[in-house]
Order: sequence, then structure tokens, then C-alpha cells
Amino acid sequence: MIDQRIFESLQTKIDEETAVRDPVLDDVTKEILAQKEEVTRLKAVADQHPFYKYNGLWSRELQNLVASIELCAWLGGLQEHKGPSSTSFMTIEDVGKFLDIPVNLKEQDAFHLTIEEYLLAVIAMVEELVRFSKSQSFSVWSHLIRSQARLAVNSVTLGDYTRPMQIGNFVKELFAGFQLLNLKNDILRKRSDGIKYSVKKVEDVVYDLSLRNLVPKGASSA
Amino acid sequence: MKIYDVGTFNVGRANEGHLISYRRSEYLNLTTSNFSPMGTKRDWEGQPLDLNPKDTAMAGAEVESARSVLSIFENFRDELDEHHDRRERIIKKSRDITALSKKIIFALQRVRATNQPLPPNIAQENQTRFDQIHTLFEEVVPEQVGINGWRYQRQISGGIQEFIEAVSFDHYLRTQTLITHAECSARVPPQVLISEEDYLMGLYDLTGEMMRFAVLSLSSGNATATQSENTASEREKSTVASSQGGIVGDLRAIRAGFEALSVPQRHYMFRDMAKKLDVMQNSVEKVERAAYGIVVRGSERPSGWTPDLSAAVEVGSY
Repeated sequence: MIDQRIFESLQTKIDEETAVRDPVLDDVTKEILAQKEEVTRLKAVADQHPFYKYNGLWSRELQNLVASIELCAWLGGLQEHKGPSSTSFMTIEDVGKFLDIPVNLKEQDAFHLTIEEYLLAVIAMVEELVRFSKSQSFSVWSHLIRSQARLAVNSVTLGDYTRPMQIGNFVKELFAGFQLLNLKNDILRKRSDGIKYSVKKVEDVVYDLSLRNLVPKGASSA
Repeated sequence: MKIYDVGTFNVGRANEGHLISYRRSEYLNLTTSNFSPMGTKRDWEGQPLDLNPKDTAMAGAEVESARSVLSIFENFRDELDEHHDRRERIIKKSRDITALSKKIIFALQRVRATNQPLPPNIAQENQTRFDQIHTLFEEVVPEQVGINGWRYQRQISGGIQEFIEAVSFDHYLRTQTLITHAECSARVPPQVLISEEDYLMGLYDLTGEMMRFAVLSLSSGNATATQSENTASEREKSTVASSQGGIVGDLRAIRAGFEALSVPQRHYMFRDMAKKLDVMQNSVEKVERAAYGIVVRGSERPSGWTPDLSAAVEVGSY
């Protein structure tokens, strides 16, 4: 006698795993929204002091958060917060609007997101995406991707080979953007120098996939 | 280009050997012209594999996206350029202020007495330099409006510290008192921010100047002149109780003050301070040793004798 429930429960499991991606994004969104409240509290305190005097205290954490937001948005979350621009990522204005903080203030001495912080966050996000593209193409069943937001994409189904292409295009776009900047010998320079390695890594993945004929036809940009 | 079609090997056969030939052919491809940086990738049917968008609708969106990325980054470039340029201008001003302040300090080291007006030639010389510094500070003011005050604080801070060293030394020589933070702020345009940290660091440097001054004036034999009218019983005290003696006392008081400051290890000021504290302690001890030398051996020394410290000004007067 075969217990049908075994298969039923298996089916539930499978369904769960298929559906897990969106819940993950939801979880992440929840986390990010919680962080957003922290930012609001930070802003309330920081606004009472000269911005650049204490900026260093939270700059790194804010960058991590913005990188998580960008990653989440790129993966399809937070869509309602994306601005009208045609970019596949959130612009600095979008991020500012989402977090409810001003960006790139030049005169007013108040809490805000600086261009440098935003760019550093974007670089961090690119590095995360590159890891993502690798793990996607080589994962057999499921793969964990941990970013600072503890984003765990648990069920990247077998053969999601289009993502690396998308990531490749996106990273190259950003790389072209970063090449427009005149950078001094500072942290931004060092970090943005790393993007070319990211480009290379993604290209390697794309290359490996295309070599093995694993790129779905007409899907390279889908 | 033709070799490139080894891409038709299917997955199973794409072993190491094929990989290598593939890579090499790709390299050859790149060396010939008219290729995108990525080379032309082909699918297994030999059709050129466009890694960029396939259908035109997507292509339009991609191009659009790429264009807006570029315009966004062009905007960033302008903003960052503005920031870097302003930063460099402030650094230049800061260096100029530092250089002028050093000249002031050197001029002040030629003074031989404390607590009285400076010799007119030195006073005049320094006044022009203070005026120049004032102009430089005024030029910095528009660069540091509002939020930018703290943003470029690090860049101007070196100049401010050196300036405080000069001002406080000047102040000390004329009045034999320590200049206050408020008095320092009064010497610069009101918009210039003098942080407590810069003030403190300037004072640390001041102890070094006081040390040089004390040692120089001890070694120039100034002490004998002031002690001559004292009685023998008072001699031991009086040998250093003159202007130099005052300096020893003041240095000790400053040292005590500095050492009493409690700066938490995590405070951003802490790192600079540890080093400066060390230098300051050395300076104070140097002056103490020199004063000790005068007190103990002062009565034995021939007139014109100078303590065994370099930079003696009037050697060979006998």
C-alpha cells in the first residue's frame, strides 16, 4: 500500500520551492523597510549636527543598505519605488525618495546620501550580482546567495541561464558609466577599479555558457 | 574568425583541449579589427550570437537604458569634479597658510624676551604675514560655506593648526599667557571654523616652539643678566626664575593640563594625540634638564658659558 500523502507532501515541497523566490524578495523588502525606519531615526539625530563631522560613523552602514536596496530592486523587488527613468537600477534620486532622505546636498547642512556613498553602494551591488551570476549558472538545484541584507535566494531553478546575460549587460553598462568619472586616488577609485574584474567574471560565465550552448536562443537579453 | 566556429562542439565534447583552441581563436579574433570588445560569439549552429538584445523592442530599451546610465554618470562626473577641484584649492591655501605660519614662528624665535612688546622689526615683519594669512583665510571662506565647512575640514586643518601654533607663540611671547580658543577664533575671519581639535593640536606644537625658545635663550646666556642683582641665597631659584624659569613653569602647567585630558581611545582625535603627547613630554623634559643644568652648575660656569645644547647663538665670546 503506497501512501499517497508522501507524494502530496512532496508536491507541496516542490511548490514551495518554486514559489520561494518571491517570498524571499518579500522578506528582504520587509528587512529593508525596517532598516528604512532606522535611517529615519538616524536622520533625526544626525540632522542636529554638522553632517560631515560625523558622516564617517554611518557611511559604511548606509552604503550597505543602499547596496541591498539596489540588489533587491534589480532582482525585481521594490518596483513601486523605482522612478520613471529607463535604467534597470534605482537612481540616486529613487533611493533618496525611497529612504525619504535628501541626496547630494550642496548647501544645506543636513543628513543626506552623498554621491560617493551611492556609487560605492552600486559597486558593492555589482560585486554581489557577479557572484549571483556565477552561482546561478553553476547551481544544480538550489543556491544560497548571501548579501549583507541576508538575502537568501533559495530556489534558483536549474538552468536559469538568462540571468548571467542580463547581469553581464548591466555590469557593462555601469562599467561604461564609471569610466566617465575623473577619479582621484581615493576609495572610490580603488573600488571602481574592481568593476573591470567583475566584468571579466561575468564574461567568463557568459562565455562558459555559450560554449556549452546553454544560452537559450533569443534570451540573452530577456 | 573561421576557427572560431569550433563553438559548434557540443557540451559533452567541450573538453580542455577544445577550450584552449577556442580561447586562442577568440584572442585572434580580438586582434583583428571591427569587433566589439567581446568578440563575436556564435551559437552551436554557427550563427553569430548577439550577446546584446535580440528583439528590437528590447534593443530599444537597452539602448535607452545605456544612454541614461551615461547621462547619470556624466552628472556624477561633474559633481565629483567640482568636489575634487574645490578640495585641491583648499589644500593649496592650507599649504600657503602653513608656510607663512612657519615663517612667523622662525621670526619669533629670534625674539629674546617674553612678556613685553616684540621688537618692532619682527613685529612688522610678522604683521604682514598675518595679514597675508588673513587674506588666504578669507579666500577659503566661500569654499567652505555651510555644509562644506566640515566636509573640507581635514584639508584646511593642517594650515589652521600651524596658524594656531604661530598665533599662540606670538601671544605667549608678548603676554606670557596661553591664548584661548576664543582669542584664536578672533584672529581669523568669523566664518572660518576653528575646531577644538585643531586648537589643541596647535597648542601641542606650541610646546615644541617654547622648548626651542627656552633652550635658545638659556644658551645665549640671558640667565646671567637677570640673576646678577639677586642675593646668593636666592640664586638657585632665581637663576631660572626669570623669563626662562617662567617657561619651565608654564611648560609644566601645560603638560599637566594635556595629560589630564581624558580622550577616549575611540575618539578620532586619539591617534594624533598619542604621538603629540610623546613629543610634548620630551620637549618639557628637555627644558627641565636645561634648567637643571643652569641651576646646579650655573654658579660654576664662566661668563659666556652655554649649556651643552646645540644652536648656541653666542659662542666664543671669551
